[in-house]
Amino acid sequence: MRNSWLIAMRELKERIGARSFNVMSILGPLIILGVIYMLFALGGEGKQHWNVLITDPANIMDNKILVTQDKSVNYSFANDYIEMEDFRDSKQYQQFDAMIEINEKVLANKTAFVFFREKPSVRMQTNLQFHIERRLEEVMVGRFTNLSVREFRKIKQPLNVAFRNAYDPFDKSADLRAWVGFFYGALIFVFIFLFGMTILRSVTREKSNRIVEVMLASVHPNQLMLGKIMGIGIAAFIQFTIWALIVGAGLFFMRETLFPDMLDASNLVQMTQEMKDQTAMDQFLGGIEYNQFVDLIYERIQFGTMTAYFLLFFIVGYLFYGAFFAAIGATSGSESDGQQFVLPIIFLLCFALYAGYFSLQNPESTMATVFHYLPFTSPVVVMVKLAQGYEPGQVYQLYLSLIVLILSAIFILLIAGRLYKNGILQFGHRIKIGLLLRWLKKS
Amino acid sequence: MLEIQHISKSFYRKVALDDVSIHVQKGEILGLLGPNGAGKTTLIRIINRIIEPDKGHIRMNGDLMTQQHLSQIGYLPEERGLYRTMTVEDHALFLGQLRGLSKRDVKTQLEYWLEKFEITDWRKKRIEELSKGMAQKVQFICTVLHEPKLLILDEPLSGFDPVNVELIKQELIEMRAKGKTIILSTHNMKSVEEICDRAVLIHQSKKIMEGRISEIQEERKTGEYAIKFRGSMIAFVNALWTSFELIDKEILGDDKFIARVKMRGDNTFEDLLRALLGQIKIEAAWEVLPSMQDVFIDLVQVKKEVSNA
Repeated sequence: MRNSWLIAMRELKERIGARSFNVMSILGPLIILGVIYMLFALGGEGKQHWNVLITDPANIMDNKILVTQDKSVNYSFANDYIEMEDFRDSKQYQQFDAMIEINEKVLANKTAFVFFREKPSVRMQTNLQFHIERRLEEVMVGRFTNLSVREFRKIKQPLNVAFRNAYDPFDKSADLRAWVGFFYGALIFVFIFLFGMTILRSVTREKSNRIVEVMLASVHPNQLMLGKIMGIGIAAFIQFTIWALIVGAGLFFMRETLFPDMLDASNLVQMTQEMKDQTAMDQFLGGIEYNQFVDLIYERIQFGTMTAYFLLFFIVGYLFYGAFFAAIGATSGSESDGQQFVLPIIFLLCFALYAGYFSLQNPESTMATVFHYLPFTSPVVVMVKLAQGYEPGQVYQLYLSLIVLILSAIFILLIAGRLYKNGILQFGHRIKIGLLLRWLKKS
Repeated sequence: MLEIQHISKSFYRKVALDDVSIHVQKGEILGLLGPNGAGKTTLIRIINRIIEPDKGHIRMNGDLMTQQHLSQIGYLPEERGLYRTMTVEDHALFLGQLRGLSKRDVKTQLEYWLEKFEITDWRKKRIEELSKGMAQKVQFICTVLHEPKLLILDEPLSGFDPVNVELIKQELIEMRAKGKTIILSTHNMKSVEEICDRAVLIHQSKKIMEGRISEIQEERKTGEYAIKFRGSMIAFVNALWTSFELIDKEILGDDKFIARVKMRGDNTFEDLLRALLGQIKIEAAWEVLPSMQDVFIDLVQVKKEVSNA
């Protein structure tokens, strides 16, 4: 084990010293953050900060708006009538991006007009609507009821009519959380592919520069293979940790600075809930989609549990696939030969991703169950299922899948060890199935 | 020191080694000779436990060879490599630790060897910055770093310039003096003659010769003598008459030659000297022993002819 550890540490040192490792450690999470930023910003495109003038001649709103004011909107009040043309053309109103007209009939006809210079984004529309509605609600409650605003809002809760698919009562297929699971699973496979290729390159390079013979005079081939897989795996783990830290810090930074209002989840959940039955359908949909994503990132992902199982399946899945890459590297006669034989593994990895997607769409199907236990696909499928949530009493499926994967990894490592041992000192040959079988039979 | 007993190894239908037994004595330099593809590398790999024999076994100091014995062996393969991006020191640390040394011991040993080869400024150099010869030196150092009792060197002199060839040769002779055992696989027959005590010749998977270098040469001498003289070549040939045969001659100057002569009939070396005295001025005379190169070619060709017949 000492030798394997020494080899692992050498591999790790080499990986960490490589420029590509350092570049990817920074670039990878930045790309992810960029994509998340784009997704956030997509809902908030257009002008980020609005100056809004509220004309309230009857002073219904008492020149007040929400106590926890949205920083993206700055409200000013005018207790006077302002014509639309005046607002549009008059110099004194040019500083305002929009004018909200609250006329004295607003409490009766429930209509307020918003005149804008540039169409607000869906997000801004949602914000404005939410702010005005909440203030008017306070006014109405004060005028027409003896209830407190809090009591009123409690009563006012709209009836939530939940539509359920008889074939998918838990609506798992549409559950955004499942996509998070898929994302985790996909991440496992991205790392397996990237670092599996590193194993392959490392083995073929050692073969081609012939250092391998010096190594084999000191260590057993299995120790060499295991050390290599371990070292590169630790490098993958370190890179993943760096990614997680940078993405985590990036999300925190975005929440605190770039999208502070938008990401105030306490407001957000309430806002979307209350708007459900009261707004136009298109606004409703736009708002909900956008908010769900933010909500998903900051509120609904069980990072702790997901990450713990992610790491378990990542490690065992990596060992399982890593053994294949090592065996291919050791048995190939040349570097190009090895790369060619990686194709079947890439197909398997792609198939595993498809299996994850399939399970996401058809969680109750027989094939999803098969994929859940199949070691080639289980790391991604289990992540999807874990995100959807196991039914009470079915958590054993998770452990069973993990045990199957661990046993398969051990089996594949043994097989790969044999191929590695018999193939590592063979040069210049072409891989043939017959040859591989012969090496497998040989002790 | 090392008993190689009845080792056989086949790779599918090709026999690489056929019942090879060799006894390597402690404190000797044994030349492992043989044409390409004879099975030398297979034998070396079996000794190093890189591959397993089909039959036979190897004993080291009386015990059956196990993985534990590898720490007593230093192996320098013919096709050797280094990790190009590692520094000399890191490389030594890595390989030394794999051979069971502690970090501190590696550093002490590395210091000793770098100073000995006068290359202390290489310590922090990356392997890719070194020339081929420099890298060869590092490989040699990494092989002997853990002070192995048995050194197995496959073509250790290839890639070195004459100065460094001499340096490595002297190093091997010094190691032998310290009681180390060395197996030297090489095609460089001159160095075999110079530094090896004994030699083993493997050809077509079989051991076809084993013995002390001097004895091998003695056994294969053909009764040739060399005479270095001043005088006329015609006078020399006339003196030989029908009792001796001129095989070859080398002209060293206008009246200076080395002639190679073989006896005819029952004539002896003394008879030859008597016949020449007074005819030419003899400067030196000696018995010509076959070079290891001649022995090698002779044995390999004979074997080939036998197998072809």
